[in-house]
Amino acid sequence: MRSPGRILIAGVVLLAVALPIIDPKGFLLTVATLIALNLIGATSLHLVIRTGHVSLAHAAFMGVGGYTATLTLMKLGWPFPLNILAGALTPALLALLIGPVLLRLQGKYFVLVTFLLGEILRLVFVQWASVTGGANGIFGVPPAAPIFASPAGFYWLVLGAALLCVAVVARVLNGETGRVIDSVREGERLAQCAGVPVLQVKVAAFVLATALVGVQGGLTAHYLQYIDPGAFTSVQSLGFVVMNVIGGMRSLLGPIIGVVFMVTMPEFLRGYVEMQQVMFGIILIVVMAAFPGGLVELASHLRAVAGRYADTAKSGGARSERAVGP
Amino acid sequence: MFTLASVGQVLINGASLSAIYVLVALGFTLLFGIMRVVNFAHGAFAMLGGYALYYLWGSFGVPYVIAVPLAAAFVAIVALIAERLVFRWYYQRMFESMIGLLGLNLALVYSAVMIWDVYERSIPPAFGGLIEVCGLMLPTDRLVVICIAVVVLALFWFFMTRTRHGLAMRATAQDLEIAETQGIDTVTTYRIAFVIAIFMTALAGALYAQIYSLSPFMGDRPLLVAFIVVILGGMGSIPGAALGGVILGFTESFLSTFYGASISSFASFGVVIALLVVRPWGLLGTPESARA
Repeated sequence: MRSPGRILIAGVVLLAVALPIIDPKGFLLTVATLIALNLIGATSLHLVIRTGHVSLAHAAFMGVGGYTATLTLMKLGWPFPLNILAGALTPALLALLIGPVLLRLQGKYFVLVTFLLGEILRLVFVQWASVTGGANGIFGVPPAAPIFASPAGFYWLVLGAALLCVAVVARVLNGETGRVIDSVREGERLAQCAGVPVLQVKVAAFVLATALVGVQGGLTAHYLQYIDPGAFTSVQSLGFVVMNVIGGMRSLLGPIIGVVFMVTMPEFLRGYVEMQQVMFGIILIVVMAAFPGGLVELASHLRAVAGRYADTAKSGGARSERAVGP
Repeated sequence: MFTLASVGQVLINGASLSAIYVLVALGFTLLFGIMRVVNFAHGAFAMLGGYALYYLWGSFGVPYVIAVPLAAAFVAIVALIAERLVFRWYYQRMFESMIGLLGLNLALVYSAVMIWDVYERSIPPAFGGLIEVCGLMLPTDRLVVICIAVVVLALFWFFMTRTRHGLAMRATAQDLEIAETQGIDTVTTYRIAFVIAIFMTALAGALYAQIYSLSPFMGDRPLLVAFIVVILGGMGSIPGAALGGVILGFTESFLSTFYGASISSFASFGVVIALLVVRPWGLLGTPESARA
């Protein structure tokens, strides 16, 4: 299982890197750029979700990062990498300040608090018009650098950021820290008794996730060349949650599949915007009712069923269990 | 600033806002307290109530006093289809219900967009003019809203505390399995609770749409209000929803009249976040450990 998986990952990454050569500035490249951007948000939220907390303020933190990156670039004239760095540090600092208070709450109360926190931050973006440009936002955000002005150049930049983000999250989750995080979710008291600094772990995951999503905010502002509060509402935050839920919340593969699904489906149903939203809703209902583990769980179900059929065909093969789940 | 007229206006606005908020929040807290579902599609049902009133009263000219409860009842009965197809999957599954019902919200709102388009409509006012009470000029339509809400809330209170079905509902809310062993038909009880919750929500939505405006997206505000009120009062607590609705209605009316709408939003969100941090079970709710 191990090495075919690696080959698959390498193949997908290679294909992603080579995409602009296949399709220099077409439809596919736009979709791929959006997928790469959203990968940052979805996988970083996955880190928080793995600690057992679903944040509905993730897009608002992205907004904090986006506005910081834009303002440091346009008002203070900081150069490109520095403004993205500032856009990562500001939401992280905010998360570091409020995290220790909010993360004491149980999961369901945390959902509600972050929902309201997201609304407050959105109100700040709208009301603080002298700095953020109010509801109209800020127009004319320049490209990050001349090399990144072309669609292909920008795509490689975003792809690099997304891969880095996925790698960081994967590294955290696959190492010992990942097991600590899982223990915090599965049994908080028990983890505490075993000497895990529960609150610190949660806050660290939260801070790291908000820093990463801040990068997405800054890059999105460069990509769209404007920034406005409409992109950072609770709807967008829910989008990140939905990406995790549809794909599956129990492994990092989940949000990755979720992002691809959530970004490509609307793009291929362009002509029927309302119909597409209705279908989307119905898919959510069915997935949550039948497969709360998301598409990853569905896939392993199917494989288990297929394995069972193969077993009966071969009258009891012993190796079928190895096919179930990574 | 604080003249008799402006204070009177604040009070009557506060009372009518409170009335609507309590209705919205009661439906929400009922679904949470009894079935353990977080109804993210709450605003969509309020929106449907608005459209039902728009047709019954605005287009077909059914007398107002009949049209309002009829519109809400119609939505509640039709919503039973959603209960059978969607809600039943999510009973007692709090986390899954949040996401799944969000999907229901999307489906309902965008179906409404397809049917009625996005533009805003207005429901013609039923009562115009002002009534003079003790030297205060009070708008009649607001008074009617308050009266309707009070009647419905009184009926609800009577049902919950004085009838066998109400008793069954409270028992089911406390412990599903024990209630079943006592011979309570929990499926029917859930269905009754669902109809009542949606009835109150649709009613509130109809009144809200008449005061403000009617569009497929009008449900966002009632949903947010339901959230705030229910957190304020305590998740699943019925007196809590009533208290929370009154507090939010009057505070919002007072702050938005004297300090502007954005200040009032900041204040209500801020207070609720602070409350959640200090006392997550709300003003009148019970802590989780005591309940389980």
